Amino acid sequence: MNARRRHGPKSSQEGVYTGPSQTQSQLVQPLDTPQAIPVPHAPLVDTSNMSCRDRTSEFESVCKSLQGRQNGAQDIKPVHNAVRQRSDFTLMAKRIGRDLSNTFAKLEKLTILAKRKSLFDDKAVEIDELTYIVKQDINSLNKQIAQLQELVRSRNGQNNRHLQTHSNTIVVSLQSKLASMSSDFKSVLEVRTENLKQQKSRQEQFSQSPASSSSFHDNSFSNSVLMQDNSNKADISIDMDLRSSQQMQLLNEKESYIQDRANTMQNIESTIVELGSIFQQLAHMVKEQEETVQRIDANVEDTQLNVDLAHTEILKYFQSVSNNRWLLIKIFLILIIFFFIFVVFLA
Amino acid sequence: MVEDTHTALKRMLNFNAPPLKNTAAEPVWKVLIYDRFGQDIISPLLSVKELRDMGITLHLLLHSDRDPIPDVPAIYFVMPTEENIDRICQDLRNQLYESYYLNFISAISRSKLEDIASAALAANAVNLVTKVFDQYLNFITLEDDMFVLCNQNKEQISYHAINKPDIMDTEMEGIMDTIVDGLFCYFVTLGAVPIIRCPRGNAAEMVAVKLDKKLRENLRDARNSLFTGDTMGAGQFSFQRPLFVLADRNLDLATPLHHTWTYQALIHDVLDLYLNRVSLEESPGSEASPAGARPKKKSKKSYDLTAADKFWQKHKGSPFPEVAESVQEELDTYRAQEDEVKRLKSIMGLEGEDDGAISMLSDNTAKLTSAVSSLPELLEKKRLIDLHTNVATAVLDHIKSRKLDVYFEYEEKLMSKSTMDKSLLDIISDPDAGTPEDKMRLFLIYYITSQQPPSEGDLEQYKKALIDAGCDLSPLNYIKQWKAFTKMAAAPANYGNSGVKPMGLFSRVMNTGSQFVMEGVKNLVLKQHNLPVTRILDNLMDMKSNPVSFIPPPQTLQTFLLLAIVFVVGGGNYIEYQNLVDYAKAKQGKRVMYGCSELFSATQFMKQLSQLGQK
Repeated sequence: MNARRRHGPKSSQEGVYTGPSQTQSQLVQPLDTPQAIPVPHAPLVDTSNMSCRDRTSEFESVCKSLQGRQNGAQDIKPVHNAVRQRSDFTLMAKRIGRDLSNTFAKLEKLTILAKRKSLFDDKAVEIDELTYIVKQDINSLNKQIAQLQELVRSRNGQNNRHLQTHSNTIVVSLQSKLASMSSDFKSVLEVRTENLKQQKSRQEQFSQSPASSSSFHDNSFSNSVLMQDNSNKADISIDMDLRSSQQMQLLNEKESYIQDRANTMQNIESTIVELGSIFQQLAHMVKEQEETVQRIDANVEDTQLNVDLAHTEILKYFQSVSNNRWLLIKIFLILIIFFFIFVVFLA
Repeated sequence: MVEDTHTALKRMLNFNAPPLKNTAAEPVWKVLIYDRFGQDIISPLLSVKELRDMGITLHLLLHSDRDPIPDVPAIYFVMPTEENIDRICQDLRNQLYESYYLNFISAISRSKLEDIASAALAANAVNLVTKVFDQYLNFITLEDDMFVLCNQNKEQISYHAINKPDIMDTEMEGIMDTIVDGLFCYFVTLGAVPIIRCPRGNAAEMVAVKLDKKLRENLRDARNSLFTGDTMGAGQFSFQRPLFVLADRNLDLATPLHHTWTYQALIHDVLDLYLNRVSLEESPGSEASPAGARPKKKSKKSYDLTAADKFWQKHKGSPFPEVAESVQEELDTYRAQEDEVKRLKSIMGLEGEDDGAISMLSDNTAKLTSAVSSLPELLEKKRLIDLHTNVATAVLDHIKSRKLDVYFEYEEKLMSKSTMDKSLLDIISDPDAGTPEDKMRLFLIYYITSQQPPSEGDLEQYKKALIDAGCDLSPLNYIKQWKAFTKMAAAPANYGNSGVKPMGLFSRVMNTGSQFVMEGVKNLVLKQHNLPVTRILDNLMDMKSNPVSFIPPPQTLQTFLLLAIVFVVGGGNYIEYQNLVDYAKAKQGKRVMYGCSELFSATQFMKQLSQLGQK
């Protein structure tokens, strides 16, 4: 029932300009039934000043009147359209697109949270959860897009060329969206690391004792495995030394030393991450350059140029053939010879 | 105006919903199908990348072989002609796409709508045709304040078509209808009803009458009007109606033939500039090809001159020597930035061994990051500089070989009726100065601007000299007729005073490192002067004289008009456009837009004149 009504509501809304979200959702979620609230006929549309005129209602009334003239023998047919299956490719692409937009929304939330710089109201737990979720999402999206690409490649033979170009373009644009999202994510992480560092330095200013291992642990969670290893080792070394009280001094020194090392490690790590992102951006830019400055009539002119050249070549050849007097003479001679043979031998 | 058209196009591509701003929206993939008219309209405004960003994966010509793509909606952007409608019906029958959004560039008639409806019924595809819209975009926006009517069938509405002596009434009607349709679409997109002014007695008046009628009809039907309260209120020009000045090409035939000295007009004159795209032929070097080999193909390079190109926007109206200098400056700044990046590279290479390396590392990576992120800008800049270097070099080659500066100076003097140092005959008989066409142009300008026609004897002399130089004399016949005709009308247009000061012959102002060594090319400086079209506009804006009032302004006469639109029926060119732009810059707060029914270069105009002269 639902599938059948997929295209139905559109025609029943006579010339109604449904808002943008509804139009898009009708295309994307075929299983939902949008409400069909008929609104009185309004030829010109709504809020924004659109300088165009909607003739859809006129079109539909014309269709109805023509249909009426043909005795309505064909209005059962719409079923045929609605049952048409969407190919797996489209379904998968739509799913990926939806996931992408969801992840984008989460990333925006994360950005807002990470930019807060207050010392006390730090929602570290939320931020960390969100970061983890976003990271998982990005990984899964990556895998999905790779699968999609495989599917496209495997279908290469069966598809006609337009469908192939269409599929390739979709894959490329999904990839570029994912790439831009992951670079946004990286910058958000960097902002967060900056804020953490600032917080730590402010904490150190206010408290004399070396920074507690608790904040240390926080850092390790939001950074990488490298950090985690270090903190674990630091934990172990601290545990072992705690037993002897004489070595309290040594403990403090060691802790501060470890902390310094941790800081530098953190710095190097973030630097390496930055460099990595730079190289990624470079590769991305190189790919993007080619389409930035193309216009839609570029290929047409190229093909026309080639066709013209081919045409001139053919013309030249034609002229050489048609002007070839020797050829004409030879043919003529052969004809004459045959003629004589026939006349002489048969007469 | 570019923004309005741009927004309209983007909205159309978004299934006629206002475009959403956030990138978090889910992508919807679509296919764009256009015909040649649509292609001309879209290509100066939207690049392939922008189309991709809006979700358009494929863009195809309507009349090409298209394969079915079964689960994608298709947006059509076509003119409602017979063949296009037939092709759309064929597509519906072949079930190429999932849903069809039909957008017609100008309003589609009822009968054609019925054709589509019956084809859709026959193909059981009525539900698939999701929306049908009239977009009212039947004009091509080239610049922010310049537009042209259609480019594809421009022979039908060319100067030749309008002015040929054996024109039939039906043809004239057809031409007028096309022009009025385009103008009507322009005003709908602009969102304002203009005050129309035009001179009497020629094609411009006919266009004005028809446009007036069409606008009134539309306004009368208040419920259905395209200029409803919302559009009027939201537009920038809600309280003022713009002034629309219609001019006819016959007012001023000398300007299209004039040799020019500003960058954009030069490119249009000398190279091949079409829809903001310039094509250069680059011959691949001067090696002699071995005997018997095929001649080497000349590679054609084309460049786009867009609004994003800041250098272009700044310099498109400047005189050519200024452009050459500025290109040189840009090149120098670019080299400085490039050296900066290279220096960073060496710094990174050097330090790696010290202990302090790590602390310095973060500092340098910050620098490196900023340098790398400025790389795309640098690359873009380099590309633009290369583009302008190539274009300017090509133009300079033409100038040098044809001695265009001599022509320019002479024509300026002719048009301002100041004294001349060389006689016309000398220039015409000079074998290296310019192509025969250049000489013909010069002579025609002389003929047009002289108060009395030259005596028979003189005329014969000139004709002989021209024929010796290889020119075709048929335009001259036409100009003679035209001159006789216009003499009966108003006084011949005078072109205002212009002084041309040559700034020294071999100007060594260019430093020796410059590529553009302009020896022998005079460094001419333009003084401001107004072409006839500009002068008419000036009078009207200040309400000094009143040639004809057409839609009489309301009782509350607006004392000043903020926006003026000048439209030349019969063709226009960049020289007039540049003149209007300069005029608008001089007057604070006023905006002037320029439009024409077709945009031709002097060569094309000469062709039309010779066709007219041969009749």
